[in-house]
Amino acid sequence: MKNVLEIKDLSLWVKKTGIQILKNISFGIERGEVVGIIGESGSGKSMTCMAILQLLNKRIFNINGNVIFNNSDLMKMGKEKLKIIGKDISLVMQNPMTAFNPTLRIGTQITETIRVHNKMSGKQAYEMGIEALEKVHLNRTKELMHSYPHMLSGGMLQRIMLAITLMLEPKIVIADEATTALDVNTQAMVLEHFCQMKKNNISLIVVTHDFGVIAKLADYVIVMKDGEIVEQANVFDIFDRPNHEYTKQLLDARILTGGR
Amino acid sequence: MIFYIGRRILGLLIVLIGVTILSFIFSSISPVDPAQAYVMKNIPNPTQEQIEAVREELGLNLPIYEQYYNWLINCLKGDFGKSLTTRNYVIEDIFKKLPATLSIVGMAMLWIVLITFPVALICAVKKDSALDHAVRIVSIIGVSIPSFWLGFLLLLAFAVFIPIFVVVDFGSLRSLILPSLTIAVPVICSLTRMLRSTILSNLNKDYVVYAKARGLSNSTIMSKYVLRNSLPPVITALCQSFGYMIAGSAIVENVFSWPGLGNHLIHAIFGRDLPTINGAVLILAVIFVICNLLADLVNNLINPRISI
Repeated sequence: MKNVLEIKDLSLWVKKTGIQILKNISFGIERGEVVGIIGESGSGKSMTCMAILQLLNKRIFNINGNVIFNNSDLMKMGKEKLKIIGKDISLVMQNPMTAFNPTLRIGTQITETIRVHNKMSGKQAYEMGIEALEKVHLNRTKELMHSYPHMLSGGMLQRIMLAITLMLEPKIVIADEATTALDVNTQAMVLEHFCQMKKNNISLIVVTHDFGVIAKLADYVIVMKDGEIVEQANVFDIFDRPNHEYTKQLLDARILTGGR
Repeated sequence: MIFYIGRRILGLLIVLIGVTILSFIFSSISPVDPAQAYVMKNIPNPTQEQIEAVREELGLNLPIYEQYYNWLINCLKGDFGKSLTTRNYVIEDIFKKLPATLSIVGMAMLWIVLITFPVALICAVKKDSALDHAVRIVSIIGVSIPSFWLGFLLLLAFAVFIPIFVVVDFGSLRSLILPSLTIAVPVICSLTRMLRSTILSNLNKDYVVYAKARGLSNSTIMSKYVLRNSLPPVITALCQSFGYMIAGSAIVENVFSWPGLGNHLIHAIFGRDLPTINGAVLILAVIFVICNLLADLVNNLINPRISI
């Protein structure tokens, strides 16, 4: 099957110091496939996501390589990439408490996102927002729309983020440690939503340091260390026949923490 | 909210009482005798009896707490007494002079808003560019330069060497430009630095990354996300500087021979005109405290996290 997103030779340096953060990252993702990226903190997982989403400041970083979506290279696009980022490729962040603008109501942040990508009236966008919140099993949605972020819990905000993602009907969802900061119940719920997305043929890039998440979701696993991909393989191969020493270490560490 | 405003107004009254007590104490410990100063203005060589008679007439022979008490009671009735120099009612004098001061400070506020916001925004976006460095140097100079000196320089440059303006001028819009710029410059310089750094710290916040990831346009992100979250400290500083500029206008008004409240207060101090000094200090304190309250209210509107 043809890849929906193809990352080719992605490399990244800090301009000022010349330190290389990512080294020749290449992988592809098919429609409805879940790619799990695993590695310790500082291995470059999040930076890979930011680079794919074109969120890195070009005044600070030197970026090389190609991010190909729909036959066009996002790295070479100007303003028109805004139509893809957010709409076709959506991000779920790891820190819901700080991901929303503290000075705007949740409703405003939801509707402005819809209206950037779809032509519709404020009222229509509001209705759509309510609907999206109901989809992620949030109650008292009108109250939520009227609240400011600091009035809500991390779990609620994470679900709101999911709602925004679902609402935009993306082709690819990038989840950057999206379950890390959550309690066990909310974590399970978020994972359930990811499974649902997979069933709906949405491709997922799941960044995590939790093999439990990988085992539950991923089809294909990328193991990163020090900005490099040290191993990438089918999920069964990774668990059953890890090749690289580092992958084995990570798997052993998982056993130490109780198999999760 | 209403409870909060009520509490703040109560606090305001306490501040005002404190300020007026201090102003009374400072006037009384000053070595110049107000009764003597008053009499000498009218009679070239007064006798001790004449001075004592005036002292009694003005109530200056009473102990200071009694003077303060009488003054406070009269103030509450709306009577600030009569000026010892102009012999008008103090309050009339003040309200006659206040508009002149308000007009330069108002104009200065306009300069501040018009210059600070765009310059800070450009400096933050183009951090470490040549422009950013240039603005940094100019701001340091602008903050350090004393305002009377800046006033003289501006007069020298734009009224003497290049006579676009007139040295002593009052009334027209043109006459407002130099004095208002003189008081605005230090404020512009410090606020620009401040706004630039808050914008920079907000540019890297998670909510900006997430807003970009949602595909919002740059202008939306700059205005609704970055600028909006950078405003609170700047609004507080802006409102405070409004108070400072009114209270501190005396020096600049003197340089530009501007017939405003600051100049009036300086003359009152030189003439030991106690009712005018105390009245003017009270009005300035009221303006100052109201500005602070206003800043807090506006901030609360912008940022709901600053709970009141």
